[in-house]
Amino acid sequence: MVILDKKKTLTGLLVKEAMRKQVIHLPQSASIDNGISALIKYKINAFLTKDENGLPTGVVSKTDIMGAYYASLPLETHLNNIMSFSPLFCNPNDTLESALDIMRSKGVYRLYVIGENRKKVVGTLAYPDIVGLLYLYCNDCEYSHYRKKRKKQADPMIRRYKVKEVMTSFVKACGENDSLLKVMEDLSIYRFGAVLITDKNNHPSGVISKTDLSISYKHGVDSQTEAKNIMSSPVRSCEEDELLEDAIKQMIFTDVHRLFVHKDDPQNIVGVFSLSDAARIRSGSCHACLSSRIKVDKHD
Amino acid sequence: MATAKDVMSTKFHTLLPDIHITEAVKMFKKASEKEQQKVFGMMVTNEDGRLIGMLSMYDILLFIRPKHIHIWGMMEDIDTDGLIGRACEKAKNILVGDIMTTDLITVTKDTHLMMVLDIMIKKHVRRIPVLEEEKAIGIVYISNLFYHLLDRLIL
Repeated sequence: MVILDKKKTLTGLLVKEAMRKQVIHLPQSASIDNGISALIKYKINAFLTKDENGLPTGVVSKTDIMGAYYASLPLETHLNNIMSFSPLFCNPNDTLESALDIMRSKGVYRLYVIGENRKKVVGTLAYPDIVGLLYLYCNDCEYSHYRKKRKKQADPMIRRYKVKEVMTSFVKACGENDSLLKVMEDLSIYRFGAVLITDKNNHPSGVISKTDLSISYKHGVDSQTEAKNIMSSPVRSCEEDELLEDAIKQMIFTDVHRLFVHKDDPQNIVGVFSLSDAARIRSGSCHACLSSRIKVDKHD
Repeated sequence: MATAKDVMSTKFHTLLPDIHITEAVKMFKKASEKEQQKVFGMMVTNEDGRLIGMLSMYDILLFIRPKHIHIWGMMEDIDTDGLIGRACEKAKNILVGDIMTTDLITVTKDTHLMMVLDIMIKKHVRRIPVLEEEKAIGIVYISNLFYHLLDRLIL
């Protein structure tokens, strides 16, 4: 059983419990074209670059790829021209709280986990991995929304988080006729992973993410192309009063990193909610999470 | 001396990198029907016929596999209605060139059979393209190699 010294949901949990063991890396001399293929194939947001001795030299994220697209760099350009230097590392036995502190203070979305010999990278830790672990606890919890549904019991007097409590209320939108260059500028300025696309009536009609832009770059789509030509449609959204655990479940099971949030009518988008937001609140999906986690740990 | 040319199949199908995955899957099915055996991988060539990659069943399945699948296995009841359809839906924008394997191992028609065998075991590959001046002239399947050697074993 984990000994809890502070009343926080993540207390006692270690990086190795949430990290992903598959580490994708490419030679820093590989092309951007190869890099985008790796991002698409393995559904990752970033990968490590290594030198000729196999040592990690940097990180290439979808943001870096988008920057290269914006600058019209040829796809044959080597990754060392666009990579961010000095990846940030943590250890498997570090606490998730300390890892989250580093991610937040350094403004990064992932850490690489380095093994005991301090030479080999043994895993990656990103916000969605932490949410996934918390979701497991939620699902196993005796107060679980789903467990209550299955047993047809009345909900206990536990206040459950709603999407509107953790969503980002500011939503940046671009028009269908805006160019991809404009979309990339907005994504860069506001540091979002995706932008909402609206039609001439200001109704949401699609979404463009950094993944969509990376694919367009690889497919040779001109950056002056209008947003409507590459946007994903329809807009995936949830109601602002939806329970956090339902929204997280929807994202985890459909491989979506974010949901837009509507109020009353799907046309009325009032916020956006991502797996990163869910990780930042450092909790499960209700205020019973701490006590339920102790019970789950007891059964291990 | 037994070499790759003794076991390679010269009847093979190729894909172009700029066709959609859905089209490639249809071509896998057509090739399987034509060859009367399941085709699990195809070579990808450019318009000059130069080999630039391989697309296998594994590459496609890797793309379709949900990102958070490790969580699924630890949960008792998952409502999976529509999830397979949505996973396949995402593949529709993806081209063969996006997910093909480009880090290829190839041999020539004169590569010794035991060298081909060694490569297949060490690299865990089941098929190896045979090249001549960067162009594919055949493909060695591990099954053909096995049955070729089997004949020698039971003599």
